[in-house]
Amino acid sequence: MGVDFLIGLFLATLITALFTSRLYRLIMWYSLNSLMLGILALLIGQELGDTAMLITGVATILIKAVGIPYLLKYLSGKFHFVRQIQPEIKVHYAIILIPAILVFTFYLAEPITHMIHGNANYVAISISSLFLSLLLMMEHKNVAPKIIGFLSMENALFLLGITATDGMPMLVELGIFFDLLMAIVVINLLFHKEEVES
Amino acid sequence: MMLTLLVLPALIMFGVSFVKNDKAKFWLPASSFLILLPIVKLFLLPKPYALLGNYLVADRLDTYVLLVSSLVGIGVTLALLTLDKHVKVSKKAYRRFYRFFAIFWIGLTVSILANHMGVYWIGLELATLSTVYMIKTNHTPAAHKEAWNYMIVGAIAISLVLFGIILMYASAKPILGEEAMRFDLLLSQADRIPSPFLFEMGFAIATLGMFIKMGFFPMNLWLANIERASFYPVAALFSGILESAVIIGFFRFSQIAEKVNYAHLFGFVFVYTLLTIFIVSFLIFRAKDFMRLFSLSGVEHMALIALFWVSGGTFAALLHFGAHAFLKPALFLSTGVLESNGKYRIAGALRGYHGKKGQLFWVLVSLFLLAIISLPPSPMFFSELYGFGAMIDTAKQSHHMLAMIGAVLLLLILLSVIFYRFVAVYQSMKYEGKTEEKKVYGSELAALVLFALCLAALLLPVSIDYLHTIGQG
Repeated sequence: MGVDFLIGLFLATLITALFTSRLYRLIMWYSLNSLMLGILALLIGQELGDTAMLITGVATILIKAVGIPYLLKYLSGKFHFVRQIQPEIKVHYAIILIPAILVFTFYLAEPITHMIHGNANYVAISISSLFLSLLLMMEHKNVAPKIIGFLSMENALFLLGITATDGMPMLVELGIFFDLLMAIVVINLLFHKEEVES
Repeated sequence: MMLTLLVLPALIMFGVSFVKNDKAKFWLPASSFLILLPIVKLFLLPKPYALLGNYLVADRLDTYVLLVSSLVGIGVTLALLTLDKHVKVSKKAYRRFYRFFAIFWIGLTVSILANHMGVYWIGLELATLSTVYMIKTNHTPAAHKEAWNYMIVGAIAISLVLFGIILMYASAKPILGEEAMRFDLLLSQADRIPSPFLFEMGFAIATLGMFIKMGFFPMNLWLANIERASFYPVAALFSGILESAVIIGFFRFSQIAEKVNYAHLFGFVFVYTLLTIFIVSFLIFRAKDFMRLFSLSGVEHMALIALFWVSGGTFAALLHFGAHAFLKPALFLSTGVLESNGKYRIAGALRGYHGKKGQLFWVLVSLFLLAIISLPPSPMFFSELYGFGAMIDTAKQSHHMLAMIGAVLLLLILLSVIFYRFVAVYQSMKYEGKTEEKKVYGSELAALVLFALCLAALLLPVSIDYLHTIGQG
């Protein structure tokens, strides 16, 4: 029950992020999305008695729900990001498009869900989150929302890892976190160079 | 110990990149040569040889790929010594380029040696991210745009690979547990995977990610645009090292997919690569500068390698892979000289090189240009012969002989289009345009000589035997 509720909130935060036209709100929705993911990992980890998943749950909350949003907000202040980020896809089209993606992914994932025991529908939600994150990247011209789209895509993959496989090996989870931090370093450098040149 | 020695040159490079002394850069090619010592030792050790538990294991295939990519790395460090003679680059950006090159090299060494899908992905992601900054070293608006472009498209491609890996892992986890991430175990237990459909779906998605990364259909131009916008060594690293790591992933995944359902694997890769070569050949025909020409030709060759591999032509694929990995960086590094200081006219590009160095340069570039279009005695000539032979052999075992002959004929027509374009470009470079005085430096010439020697070494009986043994076992 708790897991269902959290997965619902995970999807809801991502859908809301797609309609957001302010950067700080978008960062907040990303933070909440990561928080739901972290709590979800803690709940499922506790249910399975999987210590590795509990550790990754805590790391998700600390790094993705707190650390990265704080860093993005800091960077946006430092490099004067455009904070008015109007999505290129108009709201009335998005209202049709997003449910269509959800229905389509449930249909697409149907053959897979029969093969995965346990949380089968969660796999469909993970795939739809992946598509929605891609949509988030596509519907914005500015770089900052594209970065958040990339980070949300990583969240969707993490959710797939938790639900389809009952957790990936610890080493892989840590490696993904490390790469994420490296991504932030590179993003910081890209913005830094942009500022130096301008 | 062996692993430490393998990453030591990259670690030295990383350390030296913080030294502000101008002469420190000479340490870089010297230290990069050090990587050959552990690789030679790896060749002598019995295979498979565990470098780090079950995570990093050296077998015949990855030792070969590691040798090829390391030689490319050495060549690029040599050519980098004179980067500032051909393009405008600040000392700080130059040092930082090396820093990210070192991270890139470590990431790809890990990927190449990985016996674990997760570790493979982590190495590839590390390399992808470090490349973003290498593209940005060129301080132009185009390079800045392409760095972001690479960051985003590269992230999508790499995410698709991870997505596929998760599905493949999920398909085998019921029988193998957490060990379902290991390539060797997956390969030996492929026929026992309880959800073959799930595995195949994962394989298709991961392959799509890898193909996007190599510039296959429908992303044929993104890599060419990036290589055009960045400094020439980036393109050399992409074609010689990054693509090596990507293609070895494809080799590993497809070995397992072959055991799960060969007909599906062959059909998927066959259609995809044929479509890619079809589109790329016409793009090559229209290419108007060296970078795009070589970049698109790289896509064509990677598609051929994938096609030969799934057709059972392991030897052909590996020979083609080795030849391409040496030829393409050599051509990209030559482009740096040919387009020196922003001049990139094809007409007369090979004229105006005087002295022994100049003459050796234009002879080598001519040979590389003719070798890339598979003129004998280029290793590509032999690999294509073996590859097409393998395709026909595959068709003999099915009921699609006529379709395969049609496909081979289509491929030959498309390759002729590419051949025609390259010959036209070569003639224009040599016999048209004005003659202007041009300069070649010793270090870049040394890199080209190294690549030429490596190409010749590919045709030695000992190399041919080694490649055959990979195919057999």
